[in-house]
Amino acid sequence: MNKQNNSFMSWLDKRFPVTENLERHLTKHPVPKKVNFFYIFGALLMVIFMVQVITGIWLMMFYTNTEEGAFASVEYIMRDVEYGWLMRYMHSTGASAFFFLMYFHMFRGLLYGSYQKPKELVWLFGCFLLFLLMAEGFLGYVLPWGQMSYWAANVILSLFGAIPVIGPDLQVWIQGDYVLSGATLSRFFALHVVVVPLLMIALVVFHIFALHEVGAGNPEGVDIEKHRDEKGMPLDGAPFHPYKTFSALPAIGIFFVIFFSIVFFAPEGGGYFLEKPNFEEANFLKTPEHIAPVWYYAPFYSILRAITFGIPLLGITSKFLGFIIFAASIAILFVVPWLDRSKVQSIRYKGMYSKIGMILFAASFITLGYLGTKPVNELRTLIAQICTLFYFLPLILMPIYTKYEKTLEVPERL
Amino acid sequence: MIRSFTLLLLIAFCGKLFPAGDSECGALESCIDYKADVHDLFSLQRGLGLYMNYCSSCHSLEYLRWNRLQKDLDIPKNILREDLILNPNIKNSDYMTFGLNSDDSTAWLGAYAPDLTLRTRVRGESWVYTYLQSFYEDASRPLGSNNLVLQGSSMPHVLSSLQGRQQLNNKGELVKVSEGKLSEQEFDNAMQDLVNFLAYAAEPIRSEREKNGIFVILFFVIFTAVMWLLNREYSKDIK
Repeated sequence: MNKQNNSFMSWLDKRFPVTENLERHLTKHPVPKKVNFFYIFGALLMVIFMVQVITGIWLMMFYTNTEEGAFASVEYIMRDVEYGWLMRYMHSTGASAFFFLMYFHMFRGLLYGSYQKPKELVWLFGCFLLFLLMAEGFLGYVLPWGQMSYWAANVILSLFGAIPVIGPDLQVWIQGDYVLSGATLSRFFALHVVVVPLLMIALVVFHIFALHEVGAGNPEGVDIEKHRDEKGMPLDGAPFHPYKTFSALPAIGIFFVIFFSIVFFAPEGGGYFLEKPNFEEANFLKTPEHIAPVWYYAPFYSILRAITFGIPLLGITSKFLGFIIFAASIAILFVVPWLDRSKVQSIRYKGMYSKIGMILFAASFITLGYLGTKPVNELRTLIAQICTLFYFLPLILMPIYTKYEKTLEVPERL
Repeated sequence: MIRSFTLLLLIAFCGKLFPAGDSECGALESCIDYKADVHDLFSLQRGLGLYMNYCSSCHSLEYLRWNRLQKDLDIPKNILREDLILNPNIKNSDYMTFGLNSDDSTAWLGAYAPDLTLRTRVRGESWVYTYLQSFYEDASRPLGSNNLVLQGSSMPHVLSSLQGRQQLNNKGELVKVSEGKLSEQEFDNAMQDLVNFLAYAAEPIRSEREKNGIFVILFFVIFTAVMWLLNREYSKDIK
């Protein structure tokens, strides 16, 4: 049997490099032995991506992508399709989980310098993934065609309309209609189920190939490739499979305990995962009292709202300036590898300014997130403006303080 | 790791320091907290009775099917046909679309009577529960009644025969001016039944979901424990 198996594998390997790739990416791929819990989010993101794809395909079989049928088809899935409710709740909770894990994964990257040379491309592909995930989330949020789907989409699409000169035409082009309508819904459906997921799969592959080329990092920022044993395996490393695969499984178990606790006992997530107004069908004559984005966009939405002033001299309205700053808040993440001039990777060995910067950045992000889910008032706008400043400052000043601050010496080994 | 966690918790806590949002309960400071119980079958049946007697002439349940209701609420088929559906042209698998059409509703009441299938999910259970208790007489309104939770509501106080008449005192509080068929406690229980039924209608699977969820979670707890032991064995190799 074994002999047969081997001859089959050699037949296959001559035609398609299965063993070579398995060894390169799984059984012989070295990863650091010692990492902390922050390093589990990448694996969990893969798991949740699969959950979204599988549940998404199931939902797609029963969903109707028309203005007249969309809302009712979601209720049909919830009531008449066997386990449709489970698929839908897994998909909606999965969307929130995806962002939650993504933000922690990126925060890990910022903490331990997972973007520094030679990992720039790994980070860059990751940032594109964040951008695509945001687009995917937005497109998917419109599909249930509830009140919040409709009005939140209106707010976001009107941002394109705020761009000088080309704005109004661009908005009509994106919408496929003069107002947000069934035409918009069906094109958003196509983008949500085909275009964006395909791009995401491609980028996940690039992200992982690039990572396997440069090697995974660790919280110490130690280069494990420097010290190898006689077989060429790094002394501080271990093969990805079985050591890392099996260390990920208990974490995946814990993740699913939390995930399914929400799915089964609090699928609405206190109104943050499935918002109350979205249980009412979209009505273009009735604007909800308070339009708020889902929690995972709240920090960026808060930045958008915080800009209450324009630059009249240049003909820039406050709305357009808000859009620019909002876009910049995502765009700035792409250039982080070139902003950090530090000699060390990990926050553990960086100086005081880096640590203060990181705390300010994280605190601003969370506060902006909180404010983004609340109606505006003067105090909240002021706090959002201060937080927007503290979101950008640590990143903008990074080239200066990382270059001049005192760093600690990084150990040779893990 | 513990330090990172503490830091994150502290940061997250900062968000809580800001003032909370405005009241969602109209003229009231807050709604009466109520969480529907969808596991009490008798309560759901009583709630259905109230709904059919007091709500169904105006409000439909357009996403709920008769046969689903019959199965979930354990209603004998003959009762479903003879006492609930009534109309021989309606099939058991049809949706519960009765009530006023929007044109008549707008003409007679000034607003359309919304479908109530998902109402507890749109407004929240506490809101609906408080709303049902907060009607009062108001001569300035076309139908002579108003509601503290939804000021200017077009809905008349259809439950006044059960609850009794209520008016506002000069402090703006509700006071009872005549007794209804039910005592205060009985009326409160009846409203709980009604909200429980509406919560069921909003999500018929909820009871099963909450019952079965525990087994799924238990499975993953055992899975985690087994994987943790397995990982412990593997990690001995690389220590």
